[in-house]
Amino acid sequence: MQSGLKSLDFFTDSYNSRIVQLNEERAKGIRVIGTFCLYVPDEIIFAAGADRIVLCGGRPDTIPVAEQSLPRNICPLIKSSFGAIVDMCCGGDLACPHVALVDLVVAEATCDGKKKMYEILPDFLLTYVIDLPQKPDSPKASEYFLSELWKFAKILENLTGREVTDGSLREEIRLSNETKRLLHRFFELRKRDPPPITGSDVLRVMQKQFFLAPAQFREGVSRLCDEMERVIPDACTGPRIMISGCPMAAGNTKVTDVIEEKGATIVVEESCTGTRSFWDFVDEGPDPWNALAERYLAIPCACMTPNDRRIARIVDLAKEYKVDGVVYYTLQFCHAYNIERLRVQKALKKEKIPMLAIESDYGDSDVEQIGIRVDAFLEMIE
Amino acid sequence: MITAGIDAGAATTKVVLLSEKEIVGYRIAVTAFDFLIAAEDLFSALLSSAGIRREEIDTIYATGYGRNAVIFAHKTISEITAQAKGVHSLFPGVQGIIDVGGQDSKVIVVDEGKVVDFLMNDKCAAGTGKFLEYTAKALEVPITDLGMLSLASRHPAAITSMCTVFAESEVISLRARGIPKEDIAAGLIGGIANRVGVMAKRAGLKDHIAFVGGVAKNAGMRASLEKELGVALFVPPEPQITAALGAAIAARGGNK
Repeated sequence: MQSGLKSLDFFTDSYNSRIVQLNEERAKGIRVIGTFCLYVPDEIIFAAGADRIVLCGGRPDTIPVAEQSLPRNICPLIKSSFGAIVDMCCGGDLACPHVALVDLVVAEATCDGKKKMYEILPDFLLTYVIDLPQKPDSPKASEYFLSELWKFAKILENLTGREVTDGSLREEIRLSNETKRLLHRFFELRKRDPPPITGSDVLRVMQKQFFLAPAQFREGVSRLCDEMERVIPDACTGPRIMISGCPMAAGNTKVTDVIEEKGATIVVEESCTGTRSFWDFVDEGPDPWNALAERYLAIPCACMTPNDRRIARIVDLAKEYKVDGVVYYTLQFCHAYNIERLRVQKALKKEKIPMLAIESDYGDSDVEQIGIRVDAFLEMIE
Repeated sequence: MITAGIDAGAATTKVVLLSEKEIVGYRIAVTAFDFLIAAEDLFSALLSSAGIRREEIDTIYATGYGRNAVIFAHKTISEITAQAKGVHSLFPGVQGIIDVGGQDSKVIVVDEGKVVDFLMNDKCAAGTGKFLEYTAKALEVPITDLGMLSLASRHPAAITSMCTVFAESEVISLRARGIPKEDIAAGLIGGIANRVGVMAKRAGLKDHIAFVGGVAKNAGMRASLEKELGVALFVPPEPQITAALGAAIAARGGNK
């Protein structure tokens, strides 16, 4: 479903210009970092004078390449991303051109599937892994994560030859908070009833957050917000739905599209391609390193335990955005989010908020089955 | 006023004609390649056998996997909502519905005919009528006899594969080992009953449960599921038509 907002064109058309930009940067000696996860602070990358693109794959066509080396029963995001890199390194033409522009992958010890994939990745691309304490509220967890961030900064400094100073880091924090503030403004507008933009359009914008240069992205979102403030919404009707769960990487819009084709409108996403990336700000006080460690370790991902923060966030968002129901979306074989579903379900039940769980891969074979579940869910909450 | 409910199911098509008072007629047929032709043919056949002209039908609602293909219906509703309405009209006190059909199995939590929550099986054939259909073939038993055969078992075989293809080879190896037919049949049915039972418990069903869908016609399956859940199940005389009936009920209040 499309909202008909003209400012959205920028996001659809921006791929090629960004590729040109990245190529020009590389010609000038600027390094490009590829990442896979929100736990890797962009601020440090930019402060070291590098650029970054996120490499999470949402397309099904690179999966068969990955399955030549990886087990079939792991999540499609890991397979799709890995397959794109392998294909690109083996001279194939499946991967999007940006994959070939990466100098270093900075990965992170989150879920088992990714961790073990990162052990194979160095055969294809230079890879560095940041460790993550998985009980974020333990004493010293933040201190340890901070030491990991320092090590990571050193790696970058060696690569770019530019020191990450407190001053440059504070400036990057200020800029990234600006992006976050803008995204808060963007999401705030979706609280209107009816909302001025579809969830499918928002998803396509949010996916670009991980690809475009931050300044470009802010410009686009700012224009979009201005337009949204002017329009009288009429495109988006039906029940207000919240999505919660796994990321929907670029190329993956299946479930969102099905939900909105069935007549509902998605008004908020509790996911890496939704609120998780921008909800919390980084403290702009005198100690930028500690501020980063604390902010990033508090990201409510299901790889953390216990993850009460996420459960509370979901309930809060559901109320704040006045949703009629929650669709709990998981990637097939994503154990962390699949298991956490039960706790989320219980918390929502207590608040009398209906929830539908959908587990899916990147193929189209289950579009009809998902459609039946969504139809029934919408009839149920009407 | 007469309304019609058409359940364009993956395996079979069902049509129900409903007056203000009662079911005027119903028909069930195997769904052919084309959902629309299957529905159209069955609907026409039912009208002529019931002696009702098409103009007398007030509203038509379609449900089931192929519901959107039934373009002559005035509206479509999901089979979950349809089952809830249909079963409620037959057993008003029911709190849960287990529907095992050709392509999927569902567990629906209901309150006064309204859907409160539901679960459906994964996208494979495990726990569905298709599983029984294929494995009955491997056993060389007509699907209609499988249930009665299983009731004669004294030592049900353990069938551990829930994948239809693997279960088929498991059946063949059990046959090769000389395990009696009835024990294999009981093993197959027990496997599905267990799988569906887990789904029912997961949804929180305890008592006042109706069992519908084509597989509910299988006496062995019913007995096995009752054992699994520890309660007697409500099974309508024609468990295959409840979704079509629900669609016809919804059509009463609906708009054309």
